[in-house]
Amino acid sequence: MDKLLRNKKAIIIFMAPGIILFTVILFIPIVQSVIYSLCEYEATSLTGPKFVGLKNYAALLKDDTFLIALKNSLFFLIFSCVTQLVMGLFFAGLLTNIDKGRNLFKNIIYLPCVLSSAALGLLWMFIFSPKFGINKLIETLGVTDFVKNGPLWLMDTKGFIVLPMWVIGFVSLWQYVGQSMMLYMAQISGISKSLYEASYIDGCSKAKSFRYITLPLIRPMVATAMSLNAIGSLKFFDLVFNMTEGGPNHRTEVLATHLYTQGFKYNHFGYSSAIGVVLLILCLITTGFINKVVKTEQYEM
Amino acid sequence: MKRKILATLLSAFMAASLFTGCGSSSSGTTSADGVEEITFMFWDDLNATEDLISLGYKDTIDRFNKDYEGKYHVNVVTTNLEEYYTKLNAEIQGGKAPDVFICSPGPQLSDYVIPGGCAPADGLCMNLDEYLAQDGWKDTFTSDAVFSQQTYDGSVYAIPLNTAAACCFYNTEMFEAAGAKVPTNWDEMLDACEKLEAAGYTPVTVSGGTAWCLSMIAGYLCESEGVDLAALADGTASWEDGKLESACNKLLELSKYFQPTAVGDTNDVATANFYNEEAAILIQGSWAIGQINGSAPEFESKCGVFQFPGVDRIIAKSDSLCVSKDTASPEACVALLKYFTDDTAQKYTAEVGGKIPVTNVEYDASKAPAQLSYVMDVFSNAKGTFGFYNESMPTTETGAYFDDEMVAVFLGDKTPAEAAADMEAYYNENCRQ
Amino acid sequence: MKKIRPIRIVIYIFLVLVAILYLAPLLWVLLVSFKENAEIYDNPFGLPAAPTFDNFTFAWTAGKLGIATLNSFIVCVSSLILSMIIGSMAAFGIARLRWKFSKLSLTYFLLGMMIPVHCVLIPLYSRFSKMGLSDSLVGLIIPYVTFALPVTIFIMVGFFESLPNELIESACIDGATIYQIFFKVCLPLGKTGLFVTGLMTFVGNWNELLLAMVFISDDMKKTLPVSLSKFVGPYNTNYTQMFAAIIIAIIPTIIVYCAFSNQIVDGLTAGAVKG
Repeated sequence: MDKLLRNKKAIIIFMAPGIILFTVILFIPIVQSVIYSLCEYEATSLTGPKFVGLKNYAALLKDDTFLIALKNSLFFLIFSCVTQLVMGLFFAGLLTNIDKGRNLFKNIIYLPCVLSSAALGLLWMFIFSPKFGINKLIETLGVTDFVKNGPLWLMDTKGFIVLPMWVIGFVSLWQYVGQSMMLYMAQISGISKSLYEASYIDGCSKAKSFRYITLPLIRPMVATAMSLNAIGSLKFFDLVFNMTEGGPNHRTEVLATHLYTQGFKYNHFGYSSAIGVVLLILCLITTGFINKVVKTEQYEM
Repeated sequence: MKRKILATLLSAFMAASLFTGCGSSSSGTTSADGVEEITFMFWDDLNATEDLISLGYKDTIDRFNKDYEGKYHVNVVTTNLEEYYTKLNAEIQGGKAPDVFICSPGPQLSDYVIPGGCAPADGLCMNLDEYLAQDGWKDTFTSDAVFSQQTYDGSVYAIPLNTAAACCFYNTEMFEAAGAKVPTNWDEMLDACEKLEAAGYTPVTVSGGTAWCLSMIAGYLCESEGVDLAALADGTASWEDGKLESACNKLLELSKYFQPTAVGDTNDVATANFYNEEAAILIQGSWAIGQINGSAPEFESKCGVFQFPGVDRIIAKSDSLCVSKDTASPEACVALLKYFTDDTAQKYTAEVGGKIPVTNVEYDASKAPAQLSYVMDVFSNAKGTFGFYNESMPTTETGAYFDDEMVAVFLGDKTPAEAAADMEAYYNENCRQ
Repeated sequence: MKKIRPIRIVIYIFLVLVAILYLAPLLWVLLVSFKENAEIYDNPFGLPAAPTFDNFTFAWTAGKLGIATLNSFIVCVSSLILSMIIGSMAAFGIARLRWKFSKLSLTYFLLGMMIPVHCVLIPLYSRFSKMGLSDSLVGLIIPYVTFALPVTIFIMVGFFESLPNELIESACIDGATIYQIFFKVCLPLGKTGLFVTGLMTFVGNWNELLLAMVFISDDMKKTLPVSLSKFVGPYNTNYTQMFAAIIIAIIPTIIVYCAFSNQIVDGLTAGAVKG
């Protein structure tokens, strides 16, 4: 049997398609992307990439829109990590404590996760447009002139983090909190019932047992869910693109939309690659950080 | 067994996807059976479009193919507006430039006329002077002015098909009720707005959510201040000479009379505010006529048009057709262009399409929307035309930058002086030698 | 023993409110998609005055969503099948075959989970357009398969490792080749795992926007998420048609979700719990 499992030809046949595809479609392009980011490379030019060193990166630091995009992406990262953790745990805690309708509510909250962000983005854009959506609803419900005076949800430009970013953050929480909730629920339901029973006998309240039993035991899952959220929020594109397209005046631009605009609207391939490299580095740092901090702490308990 | 099914399924899907993967890539000017084939590249899908103007183009092509059956034949390559220029450039770089293609005047057209850039070293577009002079073709056009945006160094390189102009539409009933006069200069405009506001109306509806709408107004204001885009592009003028600044100040002055949700309203919503009679003035392109009359038919009789006050020239945009100078069948191409400017096509443009025809065609004014004749009056009184500002700058990216700056001024994020400094810095970095 | 405590009522009221927050927007889209465009300005929330199916007809035919749906199906099903075959083969190779670099190659694949698609967009686009793969569905299937591999391999490696050794041994004694062991013994046992990952891959690719938007510009080859943006025009937007289009785009995944919600949940947690 050992001979069978060490068969070189078989190993190649089983592994080759995957490895070749992965290398050609993912890893070589990443290397290329890093190279392009050091080149002046316009899609329309006939000459191809020309090496210019760190010029693109220097230009990034002077590009106001890039700085806004970076700020917004980091905002999303923190916002979604925190809110998904809190709300995900909150829903998971609530739902594991009820019996009737648990599946129903769970499925409803998870539903938007499987729907197209592009479609939901258009839907929420409409809901938050000043004329018909939520403002009109509030006016219909009796607040006079709310359409005239209500907040311009997706168009406001005041403040360090503009209102539209909070709105988009809310929509992304709405859409994806189901995923975190599911992960936490799966982990919580895996905790032995006897632990809780013992704690009740010792006189613990539900809240206390949540704090001292549930939380520590789901810590590894927190790391996993958080890494998923973190990468997801850095990659964030569909919702922003369909809700604001980065507007008004680039205030809601995130790294992914800036990359898209620079690369495929204005054809600056080299510059756009530099944004891509920044994004990649951010992803690697964040997952590394989360896994180190959240995961190792569990052993200190 | 299962494996077999899986394999069959898989190959079926692969075959299906491969099949759909291969598009028809018919190209070229090769003659088959003595028929000269030409390609025409267009920015809308002629078989699915609902756009009245595009439908008119389709009719024209069908007529041409029928009338010249056995001699010439046009193959239409369609795409959609967003990707049109990318695709056109790809075809040109691949040496497969279409024989005839549609183009907007401004930097896009310049790209194809002026050597370098997207066009090959000796330019791409054919000089059409010779053909225009033959058979009195040029005389059928309303005036030489219709070619102003298609003329380079005194020669015409593209044929305009129709014109849309940016005007001020106004609600005649509201003006009457408020005792406001149709303004002819800037002060009268502010005065009219003041009266409208005092009478309890929202004076102006505008879209700040769709950047080009606001920048269209900014373009008019810049024109009234005498901003010279050509001089700015070659560096003989500076954005910081105070002209842009005073244009921006006027914009801010006018913005006091905008509807409260102007910042967020999209183009559609702004137009709807007008035909739903929530605001008295709409500053828009004449393409909005179809939208207004289509959504609120009874509004047609209340809708007047005046020229943007304080400006002599008018912002206009024409769809234009170019012929590739490398075409193997120039005669066929010109014959096609003539079909686009013949009476049938131009009559359709006015009566159905709702755009201004470019020739002296007689059309039935009762069939055309009422506003069209007002727009034409405005148009004929104007001392010339100029392009949309964002489409008249050296690159589309520059145009987008200008749009953004104007929105920033409107939002109060930047002062007019800052916007002028930004534009100057941007031009120095990207547009001048 | 159980009595209804007030806190329970509060929880239920809260959950019902949350459910409304989740369902109301979707129901509202459905409502508006039966209205005429002018109606949304005066009566955005009420029932449609004269319900019309025109928006759907228009979106489906002239808006080309019919073709887009077909394209989405072709792309998603092909990449689903390919990623399952290639992924489970590699997973088997990693989990069961004995060679020096099996652990290393697993790490190699898992690295892919951390890489955002944006970073490879430009090199892929420029290579694909040189190869004539841009504007073709094949050009979309290839990256979709690749990006689905890490999760597929991850879950399937876990599964193949959990299979008892005896199973393979006995098959071996019966004289089966390694390929027979994989296709006839191991793969059929992994049906549930495959099904679950397949669902996740399908849903993910069905909703993918960025790659599809960059690679496809031909109207006849666009997938659903890309086609949606067509309804928002620079000069005017027909909102009711856009809403009909949204409904068309999300209905297939809603159906898939309703039918297989439990498996989808399993797949989601299976991928993460083992990490």
